[in-house]
Amino acid sequence: MTTARATLARQPRADLLSWITTTDHKRIGILYLTTSLVYFGVAGLLALAIRTQLARPANDFVGVHTYAQLFTLHGTAMIFLFVAPFALGLANFLLPLQIGAPDMAFPRLNATSYWMFLFGGLVIFAGAATNEGAAATGWTAYAPLSEIKISTGLGQDLWIVGVFIVSVATILTSINFITTVFVYRAPGMTMWRIPIFAWEMVATSLLIFMAFPALAADLLLLFVDRNFGGHAFDPAYGGSALLWQHLFWFFGHPEVYVMILPYFGVISEIIPVFSRKPIFGYTGIVLAAFAIAGLSMGVWAHHMFTTGAVDDPFFSFMSFLIAVPTGVKFFDWIATMWGGSISFETPMLFALGFLVNFLLGGITGVMIASPPIDFQAHQSYFIVAHMHYVLGGGSLFAIFAALFFWWPKMFGRKLREGLGAWSFWLLFIGFNVTFLPMHFMGLEGMPRRVYTYDATGVLPLLNAIATAGSYLMAIGVLVFLWNVVVSAFDRTPVGDDPWEANSLEWATTSPPPEYNFDRLPPIRSDRPVFDARHPERDPSAVR
Amino acid sequence: MKVGLRLFLSSGAFAIVIAVVYWLLAREPAGTILLGFLAFALSFIAGYMIVAEREADLWGDDAQAKNTEAVGEVVGTYSVRSPLPIVSAAALTCVGLGLVVSPTIAVMGIIAIFALGALFIVQSS
Repeated sequence: MTTARATLARQPRADLLSWITTTDHKRIGILYLTTSLVYFGVAGLLALAIRTQLARPANDFVGVHTYAQLFTLHGTAMIFLFVAPFALGLANFLLPLQIGAPDMAFPRLNATSYWMFLFGGLVIFAGAATNEGAAATGWTAYAPLSEIKISTGLGQDLWIVGVFIVSVATILTSINFITTVFVYRAPGMTMWRIPIFAWEMVATSLLIFMAFPALAADLLLLFVDRNFGGHAFDPAYGGSALLWQHLFWFFGHPEVYVMILPYFGVISEIIPVFSRKPIFGYTGIVLAAFAIAGLSMGVWAHHMFTTGAVDDPFFSFMSFLIAVPTGVKFFDWIATMWGGSISFETPMLFALGFLVNFLLGGITGVMIASPPIDFQAHQSYFIVAHMHYVLGGGSLFAIFAALFFWWPKMFGRKLREGLGAWSFWLLFIGFNVTFLPMHFMGLEGMPRRVYTYDATGVLPLLNAIATAGSYLMAIGVLVFLWNVVVSAFDRTPVGDDPWEANSLEWATTSPPPEYNFDRLPPIRSDRPVFDARHPERDPSAVR
Repeated sequence: MKVGLRLFLSSGAFAIVIAVVYWLLAREPAGTILLGFLAFALSFIAGYMIVAEREADLWGDDAQAKNTEAVGEVVGTYSVRSPLPIVSAAALTCVGLGLVVSPTIAVMGIIAIFALGALFIVQSS
């Protein structure tokens, strides 16, 4: 039954050196996940500091320059060091298991990517130790604000170098993912039988490959401008400040989908398991992922409507179009649950939370795809609310869903359901208390990234509510950490397939052995583990 | 591989269409060049895959393949661990960090990269 033989060079070890030098995709995946969660913790503390400063008007919890550094590092860490890398870590752990491969196509390149990600993040944060502090230009680092004439400190240069290293690492990882899925599938695991998470990672990798080189080029130009007398973004010398925005958003908008497509995959794995039904519309969900990926390459300048220098109808039309494949996915998830035997274990709770929050974020996204509305909402807290509903309410809830769902496979023990439910409700209520009021702050005219605000009107009340919500979220995260500690002492064996799931990773032991599988079940559909549990059913009737 | 080939071919064709439409509507050079490069890169990979497809004979592409048919096939030698990744990532980071902080660190990073490259070649041969 074994598919193939991989030559075992050395026996696995468990000491620190073996982790530092590992090329095993599962260990690299866990390293990625752990590191990105640590960065999430840091970015979360920065967010709490931001919300504390804004808890009441004219507050002096932090200084003005420190505040600018806080929101810059918060945004940078959440986007470049947490949401996207967490997906890379999850895919590192899961992809070879899901397609029946012994490892990634390029294990050493895989490990190199991880270490570049870790070091790149440290370089970004190293700016905080310099005399003038860390970068303070926001995660978008718009030129000319980020040029040497205005941002004179080393922190901005370290930010450029750190983000560049992380972006190169991400490109290398995407090449690894695509090659692994295309070439290393087990016998019978045709492309139309791979799990939807694997498909979403192929679409994500394609997006990374298409979008991240623009960011790398943008950063290089800025670095040359700042350190070697370049003038790429200086209109006085024939450069163009808008060029930064074009290059940045050519990367930046697809990056939004790099941060959400993997989590569409997570949701597509979890909902069928806890609905006791096969996924509805497998092909439609896959094609929708590639439609989203393709269309997202043609919407970048909807972030630039207010410059007056872009083709508003083109970018508005393309942005509206993305709602169609996204809607296809939503209806497929709803149809999967429809008539199913739904159970509300913690992964399903977080998946449902994802659906609610992401729907709200998606609707406001459609609103601001319309230039007249965007002109009103641009650079206001309405945008802050929108992006947090997509990336916080969407991706973050899917991240917790993934942690609870695949934790038994990674560590051989379950996280506790009771504590999981507490985490979910604290995070769900806390999230909506924090970010729902921000829509109204934006409509009241509160600009994003401001240090303080008008003491009259409703802004003080709305900000106080948002700050209280952020503390509630922090408690939810602490409960999750406590759950991790408690589960570490739980020695109850969890079994290979505690959820009675469908895809191939549940066919091996928890945690999986070196090179993943001692034996593989026959693969005759997109649910090989389900087929193995139900030999009476004829899988030839499906793909 | 056929699915992968179709993926890159359709993505490349889509990028070409978008680039042309964008230029006709917007007459804006930065975006057109970006989309043009995108179309070229995707088409280049599709071209490579057309060549690679001829030699590809993957178990995963055969819907009726049995696990037993592939038993014993050597799919590659995997080193469980290697110091090269962390050292090469550290060397690359030194180059970037050195450009900001001190040229000496950058030079050390470059030397380390060349040394690692030589080591890799020796190991591979």
